[in-house]
Amino acid sequence: MAATTADGSKVVGGGEKSNVDEESKMITLFSSDGERFEVTQEAAAMSQTIHHMMEDGCVDDEGVHLPNVGSSILAMVIEYCNRHVASPDEKEDIRSFDAGFVNVEHHTLFDIIRAANYLDVKELMDLCCQTVADSIKSKSVEEIRELFGIVNDFTPEEEAEIRKENQWAFE
Amino acid sequence: MAAVVDGAELILSVPDDVLALISAHLRPGDLLALSAASRRLHAALSAADKPWLAQCRRLLPSSLSHLLAWRAAAGGSSLTVCRFLHSVSPLRGLWAHQNPELGNLVAVLPGFLSLVAVRAIPQELSPRLLWAPVFEILADAHGRPTLLFLHGHHPGSLFPGLLDALNPHANTLLLEAHASLSSSPIQQFPRLSFGNRRRLLDALVASCRLTLPPDLAAAPLFARSDEDIPVLAARREAMLRMHTESGGGMVGTPELEALLLGAKKMLPLPAVDATGDEVGLRRSLSAMACRLKNGLRQMVTRSASANSRSEYADSKHLPFDKFLRAGQMVGLSLRGSRVRLSTYRAWPSMNDNRLALYKLTTQTPMPGREYAGLWGGTFGWPPGRPEDECKPGKALFFLLLSYEKDSEGKLLLIATKVLEGTHYVVHPNGSSMFVVRVGEPSTEAFPWMTEDEDSRSVDIDRSFAGEGIASGYGFRYPGSKPGSLFVLRDGRLAFVWRDSKSVLTLQRLNLEELLRKGERVPALPPIPNFVYLTKSYSNVYTVMHGSSSCSSSTSQVKDATKGQELR
Repeated sequence: MAATTADGSKVVGGGEKSNVDEESKMITLFSSDGERFEVTQEAAAMSQTIHHMMEDGCVDDEGVHLPNVGSSILAMVIEYCNRHVASPDEKEDIRSFDAGFVNVEHHTLFDIIRAANYLDVKELMDLCCQTVADSIKSKSVEEIRELFGIVNDFTPEEEAEIRKENQWAFE
Repeated sequence: MAAVVDGAELILSVPDDVLALISAHLRPGDLLALSAASRRLHAALSAADKPWLAQCRRLLPSSLSHLLAWRAAAGGSSLTVCRFLHSVSPLRGLWAHQNPELGNLVAVLPGFLSLVAVRAIPQELSPRLLWAPVFEILADAHGRPTLLFLHGHHPGSLFPGLLDALNPHANTLLLEAHASLSSSPIQQFPRLSFGNRRRLLDALVASCRLTLPPDLAAAPLFARSDEDIPVLAARREAMLRMHTESGGGMVGTPELEALLLGAKKMLPLPAVDATGDEVGLRRSLSAMACRLKNGLRQMVTRSASANSRSEYADSKHLPFDKFLRAGQMVGLSLRGSRVRLSTYRAWPSMNDNRLALYKLTTQTPMPGREYAGLWGGTFGWPPGRPEDECKPGKALFFLLLSYEKDSEGKLLLIATKVLEGTHYVVHPNGSSMFVVRVGEPSTEAFPWMTEDEDSRSVDIDRSFAGEGIASGYGFRYPGSKPGSLFVLRDGRLAFVWRDSKSVLTLQRLNLEELLRKGERVPALPPIPNFVYLTKSYSNVYTVMHGSSSCSSSTSQVKDATKGQELR
């Protein structure tokens, strides 16, 4: 985990003038369960939501509260953002990082999707949606049910009816 | 975090916008498989429009406003639009027949909740590409591509029918008749003799014509801009109504029999009705004679095809009365079929006696094969420009460039002629205008230093050695002479014949764009407009009056019949 918890060091808020370089200006994020994360403003700006808040001067000294994102998921999103701002040009490294990043359980993946949607992190959204799509692609109905643990509540007649209805996409 | 009870919850936990993002990476079948997994998913995904709109955008990457207009015409359902786009996609692309030899290229493009097939006619280079309509396929209320309309000579004339079947990998498009009571899965129409097929189609055309009101007859067939959308929507509604009211153009057996009997009595005079749409009995008889001649010729030419081993094999014909059974209705139909096709240098071997259009495979450019696709140009240097007002104009050539490996595994770039704008064709339709070896740069220098009087210098990027078409042993057997293909810095191509210094310059074409900005000209009567079976070496699509960029009526038509008078 790349995110660091508070250790009493000074937090540089969005509005404060400073001699420090732009990249190392930090911002504090609070997850829904109250955990505190320090991130560079550059990494935080990957979230358009937070970026707009910073631009509009809505970030106070305390930091940004994110009531919709739990700590474990926020930690992952921060890890993603840190990695992507660190070395944006090393395509191969980033690709393998991304592959490992999305190699998680479906419910975690969907949690990340919801968080990335709320935080508006476009690259992360694209990555996760592509991953979900890849897992669904070319699968039969039964395989999809198994994959997501979906319970089939159709009668055989209804299923046959739906199969006939959907025939056009499989010709 | 609460434990997930049912996997469906997971998928339904994300907003429609996100589902749309996921959908953009899927195919329609994947979305349907997902929706078929459980009741909740089925309800949610059937009602959600955004994921289906994402599918439509993938299938029809044109302006969103057009898609939304299509959606409105489909009762607000992107799923319906998606179904249409997906089902009808095998029709998209380029189609052609061997005859007329000058070219008869048909392009199928999106209309308005429809597909429109139009023909780029042989013509001279000009600012607007001339085209004539061939047929349209409209979506029904469920998004099925079922409604067929053939175009005829009069701008408001439409001839309704059905798209009977469309193979997902169709490479032939057959114009046929279908019978309402036919319980047999075996196609009956192909089993009729050639003469009977023509007579039947001519009789159907004579009895099923519909006429659009003048304002809709003048309307465009596809959107050139957002402003066209309302009139396109109105046109579509009128066509749907007319199709239903006419019973889909189906004709009862007694009426057909009377027509056929009447036509027989009128032999050998062709019956011509008021708007010039001919019931060409004489033509079909002469065409039959021509077919026999061609049939013999076919046996000795290399283009004799293995394609006759199919449902159209002439071994034992179905008697006409077996097809026209009592109580039955018959109508025009189109069938997209996949047959075994042999091709030579990207041009399919085509049968002479079927009303069929054949798919021309268009390769997509890729690294190492950058020049694949449709190109257009003229002969001579400097290259012709559309705005040039010189008379006579420069003949417009369309070439389909493709890559093939020769017998030694070497990569060749082949330029297949698909449209020629001269008055009398020099080489057969589908001839290779040039073939160059990709791995062999040319040692020849480009003959011209500058392009025009302004001394704009010509920059050559690279060149390839090969051969260009030349006269050979008669029309059917062109020869070849050495030449080089030069790639100009601005992306144009120029093939130069080494000895004669003839030069053919080409630009990449966006045919859909050219057609949208082009100019509509009248079509032929519906059957010959679909496929012109009578052998012809000149421009049968020529307009007799008006258009300055078309050849005049003095061109000799080497038809077996007289009477392709266009009014």
